[in-house]
Amino acid sequence: MLDLLAQLPQATFDRPPIDWHALAPELVLLGFGVLVTLVDIVFLERGRAMVSALAGVGLLATVVPLLTLWNEVDTASPRVLFDGAYVVDRYSLVMKIVFVLVGYVVILLSTNYIAEGDYWESEYYGLLLSSIMGMVVMASARDLISIFVALELLSIPAYLLAAWRKRDPRGNEAGIKYYLMGVFASAVMLYGMSLLYGVTGSTLLTDIAVAVADAPQFDAAIALGIVFVVVGFAFKISAVPFHHWAPDTYEGAPTPVAGFLAVASKAAGFVALMNLVFVAFPDRHDVYQPLIWVMAVLSMTVGNLLALRQTNMVRLLAYSGVAQTGFMLAPLTVAGDPGVSDLALSTTVNYLAIYAAMNLGAFAVVIALARKTGSAEIDDLKGAFQYAPGLTVAMTVFLFSLAGIPPIGGWFAKFNVFRSLAGAETTWAYILAVIVAVNSVIALYYYASVARKMWADEAPDGNLAPVHVPPSLVAALAITVAVTLVFGFFPGTVGDFTDVSLLASP
Amino acid sequence: MSDFLRTYLVVAIFGGLGVMLVGVFVMLGAALRPNHPTAERRLTYESGVDATGDMWSQSNIRYYVFALLFVMFDVEAVFIFPWATRLEAYGTFGLVEMAIFIFILVLGLAYAWRKGVLRWI
Amino acid sequence: MDDSVAYLILAAVVFSIGAVGLMVRRNPLVMFMCVELMLNAVNLTFVSFGDDLGDLGGQLSVFFVLVVAAAEVVVGLAIIVAIMRRRPRATADDLSALRG
Repeated sequence: MLDLLAQLPQATFDRPPIDWHALAPELVLLGFGVLVTLVDIVFLERGRAMVSALAGVGLLATVVPLLTLWNEVDTASPRVLFDGAYVVDRYSLVMKIVFVLVGYVVILLSTNYIAEGDYWESEYYGLLLSSIMGMVVMASARDLISIFVALELLSIPAYLLAAWRKRDPRGNEAGIKYYLMGVFASAVMLYGMSLLYGVTGSTLLTDIAVAVADAPQFDAAIALGIVFVVVGFAFKISAVPFHHWAPDTYEGAPTPVAGFLAVASKAAGFVALMNLVFVAFPDRHDVYQPLIWVMAVLSMTVGNLLALRQTNMVRLLAYSGVAQTGFMLAPLTVAGDPGVSDLALSTTVNYLAIYAAMNLGAFAVVIALARKTGSAEIDDLKGAFQYAPGLTVAMTVFLFSLAGIPPIGGWFAKFNVFRSLAGAETTWAYILAVIVAVNSVIALYYYASVARKMWADEAPDGNLAPVHVPPSLVAALAITVAVTLVFGFFPGTVGDFTDVSLLASP
Repeated sequence: MSDFLRTYLVVAIFGGLGVMLVGVFVMLGAALRPNHPTAERRLTYESGVDATGDMWSQSNIRYYVFALLFVMFDVEAVFIFPWATRLEAYGTFGLVEMAIFIFILVLGLAYAWRKGVLRWI
Repeated sequence: MDDSVAYLILAAVVFSIGAVGLMVRRNPLVMFMCVELMLNAVNLTFVSFGDDLGDLGGQLSVFFVLVVAAAEVVVGLAIIVAIMRRRPRATADDLSALRG
């Protein structure tokens, strides 16, 4: 009597092969996420003290399978899982290591900050771990659905983290702004994805690449799909004109979370953008290159000009982050040029890694100094050299690195941007290179003026009491300073490390 | 009777059985329970809230947590239905997969329970 | 593709209504409903394309969109309730403790 049902195709089910080693980092992260929640469920308040350590150990434990994978995977032989929806290659491994280490530094920054506030701790670290897991998944995602799920896995905990100070109106505002902007962006991105799926008949990036390359030159649906998807991620990376949420959210969120959003969340947006640009539509640079070119120019110019008039350090870092987004977008405008596309990819990866170190470091100094001054106003940083010389030197390193002064890390990153733009040898690339140069000079002005205030001015009220910097903050500062300097002084080693390619991917 | 209609016969039989089962239990309950009608008992009952005042009264904030939890778990069930239709085909592998999925969901529920969200008042 | 064009147009219209509503309306709850409109337009697009192509991928995507949207709804409502508890009848314009 179930004849009708019997007519339905009853394809036999084969257990899909699972490459456990390639999935090990994600599984370790998931395991520790579950463990953090279990500790909270079982011990409640008594578990508070162990959670931050547990989360830190979890992230360090994730590095182990990442390193063993690094030895096994080279550019020629990526590990392909789930029919190509999930690819573990050198590029994704570099980004995963960046995400995990950024997560670790954020935990170091948060340890005292969150423990001393009257807000929940276990949830904080659990959410942080799941957000990092979303980023780690994003680095390997090569399918529209997995990109979308990874994006939401990293965003939804981030909305909660941004609204963490729930009794503070500014915290509420930070949360709701980030949330509404974020869901709007993901809805726009999804619409783009649905158009791409409709035109190409597949959600797999490699299939999409074949289909869009064969499509006629001016196909409205493809163009619209690509534009919507890119715009959706432009929100995530806070590129102008989709940057309005960034300064308010960073200011209202707890400062370690602001650092996390500014660095990790932005890097995750870039990773998704690079997956799409290099794997899904490499042959449609006629559509995405002009769009990214305009966003890059607007981001650096508007970001820098607005940063000039900020009086709050966190807001200044937010606008400088918008400007840095412009610098990082610049290499993607020549991604379609076969001669430099590999260089463009490794330039952006390189810049993301260096940016992560120097920007997190700057946030670490702001957090450390705010322990004394209780605010993040730039005027309250005046005369910091008199009472906190170590922090002032560290801040100077980060600021000069952000400005791109040789021989600190940021210089190497910017140098590569120029190299890939010049390598493309097109008029538009040369114009962009000039705009990058002009903007670097503007940026130097406000970075240097903060440094000058810290070195030369008198401390307000003559208050010279030393700042007590807890050990976890010292560790975070040591890591970020070391990475920033190593990137600058030994660019060769770092260059090898981030010399990645997506072109060999199947 | 055609095969097509016979399939619907099954649906009708199951529907009838469902209605009958509810009817039997309601009647059974009415037959067994003591009956002492008082004025208070005849009031409209709505989740412990007195049925007085405006129709546009604001509902208690306490409902919202339950509503949120319901939305969450309700929608997750969408993954369980397709799995259930092909249960035999997926075998042990599918069972373990679903166990992991449900474990993570239950973890969320356990968290809510331990934090006292499920307690009324 | 003729059969589904009507659905695609409907989806595009619903999506636009949601997008415009999000930009025009100031009540966080209404803005939030507009996002739901947009997401459902996306679902409709996925389903009608999937039907056209005879491919299950479209239907499958809807599952994921649906579930993730539910998670988003829960988080969003929690944030909105946190705000409303402090300030009843707040609109997005009232939220101006920060300068942006």
